[in-house]
Amino acid sequence: MSGLRIEHVFKRYDNEGKGKKKKVNDFAVKDLNLVTEEGEFVALLGPSGCGKTTTLRMTAGLEEITAGDIYINDVRVNDLEPKDRHIGLAFEDYAMYPPLTVYDNIGFNLRAKGVSKEEIDKRVREIAPLMQCDDLLDKMPVKLSGGQKQRVNIARAIVRRPDLLLMDEPLSHLDGKARQAMRTEIKRLINEIKCTTVYVTHDQLEAMSLADRIAIINFGVLQQYGTPAEVYDDPVNEFVAGFIGEPPMNIIETTIVGEGEHFFFTFKESNLKIQVPERYYNVVSNGFKCKMGVRPMDVLIGGPDSKGTPEHVATFENLGDERRIGIRVGDFLLMLITEDETRYKAGDAIKLEVRAEKTHLFDIETGARIRSR
Amino acid sequence: MARITLENVKKSFGKVQALDGVSLDIKDKEFFVLFGPAGAGKTTILNNIAGIQVPEEGIVKFDGEIVNLVDAAHRDTAMVFENYALYPQMTVYDNMASALRSKLYKKDEDYIQKRVHEIAKMMNMDHLLERLPSQLSNGQKQRVAMGRALVRMPKVYLMDEPLAHLDAKLRNAMRTELKSIQAQFGTTSVYVTHDFMEALSLADRIAVINEGKVVQIGTGDAIYDLPVNEFVATLMGDPEINVIPGRIEKTETGYRFSMQGSGKSNDLPEDKDLFAKFEALGVEKVDLALRPQHLVYSFDPVPGYLHCTVYSYESIGNKSVIVADHEGLQLRLIAPNGLRVKIDQDVYVDTKLNYSLFFDYETKEFLARYNEAEIRKIAEPEEEEG
Amino acid sequence: MKTGPKTGTKVLLNILLLIYSIFALFPLIWMVILSFKSDAQMYNTLFVFTPTLENYRIVLFTTDYPKYLLDSLIVSGFAVIVSVVVGVPAAYALARYDFKKKEDIAFQILSFKFAPEILVVLPLFMIYQKLHIYDTYFGLIWVYQLISMPLLIWVVRGYFEDISVEIEYAAQVDGYTWYQIFFKNLIPLIKPGLVSAALLAFIFAWNEFTFPLLLAGTNVQPITVAITKFLGTDTAHYGQLAVAAVVSALPAIIFALCIQKHLVRGLSFGAVKG
Repeated sequence: MSGLRIEHVFKRYDNEGKGKKKKVNDFAVKDLNLVTEEGEFVALLGPSGCGKTTTLRMTAGLEEITAGDIYINDVRVNDLEPKDRHIGLAFEDYAMYPPLTVYDNIGFNLRAKGVSKEEIDKRVREIAPLMQCDDLLDKMPVKLSGGQKQRVNIARAIVRRPDLLLMDEPLSHLDGKARQAMRTEIKRLINEIKCTTVYVTHDQLEAMSLADRIAIINFGVLQQYGTPAEVYDDPVNEFVAGFIGEPPMNIIETTIVGEGEHFFFTFKESNLKIQVPERYYNVVSNGFKCKMGVRPMDVLIGGPDSKGTPEHVATFENLGDERRIGIRVGDFLLMLITEDETRYKAGDAIKLEVRAEKTHLFDIETGARIRSR
Repeated sequence: MARITLENVKKSFGKVQALDGVSLDIKDKEFFVLFGPAGAGKTTILNNIAGIQVPEEGIVKFDGEIVNLVDAAHRDTAMVFENYALYPQMTVYDNMASALRSKLYKKDEDYIQKRVHEIAKMMNMDHLLERLPSQLSNGQKQRVAMGRALVRMPKVYLMDEPLAHLDAKLRNAMRTELKSIQAQFGTTSVYVTHDFMEALSLADRIAVINEGKVVQIGTGDAIYDLPVNEFVATLMGDPEINVIPGRIEKTETGYRFSMQGSGKSNDLPEDKDLFAKFEALGVEKVDLALRPQHLVYSFDPVPGYLHCTVYSYESIGNKSVIVADHEGLQLRLIAPNGLRVKIDQDVYVDTKLNYSLFFDYETKEFLARYNEAEIRKIAEPEEEEG
Repeated sequence: MKTGPKTGTKVLLNILLLIYSIFALFPLIWMVILSFKSDAQMYNTLFVFTPTLENYRIVLFTTDYPKYLLDSLIVSGFAVIVSVVVGVPAAYALARYDFKKKEDIAFQILSFKFAPEILVVLPLFMIYQKLHIYDTYFGLIWVYQLISMPLLIWVVRGYFEDISVEIEYAAQVDGYTWYQIFFKNLIPLIKPGLVSAALLAFIFAWNEFTFPLLLAGTNVQPITVAITKFLGTDTAHYGQLAVAAVVSALPAIIFALCIQKHLVRGLSFGAVKG
């Protein structure tokens, strides 16, 4: 038995303008395949307009599927009404019914299905403590804070014991603090109820911290589907590499130069020279052009006897928990992060070392990852 | 270019006291950040400087001259609004040119064209000039709003969360760009944000605002390392600083800290200044605060470590956060990615007490910290008179 | 699935719509047909007849009909202009400023439309007599404000409320005065609402019957009142009556067609805020 299975799903919106010719848009979702384990927490991550919400809405049955099949627990749901799909929905602005108390709001769907009063009461009281809204049950929705509303919202989605829980940016209305707290709550909740969950977000941090696996989507196409560690450490292309991580990965155009037995990354208008890890030796050659990616925390400041290249600090930001240093490499600003307490000034000379084994190579044209053979 | 002074500014909306006696002295050429939670009154301060709102009490001065009665048009400011406030019926180009076409700041069309294109190029949006605001994404709108302010060379730039709606990549790039623009032109800038990283990275000085009052003014270092109270300490840093309530007692050799409840107690590492301060203050109940990076953990029992259970384990990119629970007290600590951690499993936590900050248990005001004198020297550079 | 109704239901729905449209349009079609019929054929045939322009000739060239038409245009047109000039600033004030009893005032303005005209017309008649504005253009334009002003203020107010106040702030900081901001930035933004509200107000004013019937009569005769004259005491000239009605409907239809684009957008935008 599987949670959710999406097979070759396409979505295209037809714009029928009045009097104008029928305009056919490009696909909003293109040949999407996604399989979740039962009880797995999957995040759909991508920039706005990438098709992640469309995918969720198709799964929920709020949007027609242009082509392909969607299965929930091995049942093909293409032609089922949303109410027959056994799903729970928690949307960004899924409004509550204002004249009803929190208790009645949570129980509303059960009542609509004709569940008995005792059963409703039992289930509501069972769910409420999980979402820490047991002391809110008698309140009216207008009295609740943003975070509390979102708790009730989620409680309402899970009280039906859905086969699949769908959440669309449920935290985007909350401010920093409340969001951080809710993230932890959601994580614990899902762990508790073990419900397959699909979670749409544009915030890579949310996806990284919550999900068992992340599906990264761009322009309607699935880019990579893997655990947070996989997408972070082993991105399949430049887009994924740049989208995951804050500050983003440094990705610079480079020309590889062979010197003796070794190859080095060299950069336009810069003295910076980084040795190419040996595993790439079978794919690079002298004069080979590509893009090099390295995360800011994999660029290090060398000590006095370091063999690293001397460079000048262009920008220095002290962020309290960490310090960020920018170094000009041609017209690119190479960022590095350090927890070192030293305060640098613009113009200070430092020696740069790069964890060569952590560098990635990307194709200049396609952005695809170049791997060693 | 201007020095901006606010003296005891008060402003209310109906029954809500939005500003309750705000005094600020923003120096010429300074990059000044107003930082605080939502609804603190940051935007209201900005509006009062811009002249969009007029204080009910108190004085606003530009270069020593009282401007309370000068209307917004004549104050020579440029402002970036949080909701962009682009003119919907005008193209991006006309939006940017708007100020230079007004009677007050009139420039000839040749100059306008040159200037708009220059700024558009810098902001990487020269391909958007012919579009209408409705055809732009939020990130693009925000850039246009910034560009509209930057085409002018006003006395002061006022910016209200100008980077809030950009994605991480663009936000980082724009932050760097902003800083270099400000360094280049040296225009006084007042910048509103609720993101502590933005505040720390951009500001020459930060004013922490809460409930219409200024809580603390200082350099980023001062705000981060020497917060005046627990509120400021918890605002800075992600994950949030850990606050451990307890009591301190004098021992033969120094001081001892005992956690509230059944928690353990430790001798505090020696710091003469700190102990002298404890002596002088004579406090007993304190909140000990420690940043997550100053907590260490082990999954195997270690003598002297605090026994906790894992409340959650979350990756936040380059590192992960473990929230450890000890009888309801939640401690946040930093851990590497990719650990195999089960929720509710045991974890043992120790504290690097020589990084501690101490706050009063009742008032939550700052009492003392380790290495205070040394940190104060870095955080509070000698004021240049000017 | 959100696929809409099944095909069978669709056909049924369309048939129902068709029936309704015949029901709604038939009187109009009938009226047009009547206007081309001679008195002799008036009662016997419905669709088979010899079309004639005789009715049009009589109405347009031998009676005072063009004068009535002009009266209607003057009264309705000026009523709308006054409403716009007074109503737009009023709507702005109601949308932007916070003052005591604001909502009460707004509601009061709307309530002018509640009372049946017949209820207020008698006192108005007495007042008009005393003020010597009975049977004048001024008098009618004034009383028409009861009809056009509330509509205009409420629609335009909604539009002003939709414009974020920061846009005005931004323009202030850009160095513009309030009047420049109002005409350069705000008026273009409320245009769709303003146009549709003004058009609706015009149509309501044009169709007004009670007020002109009782507060005017000899010097000023809008078309709605004048049409009744074609119902003579002895014979009813239905053909001429139809012509009068057809011609009087034209201005509103022409206006509506010209600004159809604004009308659809304006009505669908303004009513639902968001």
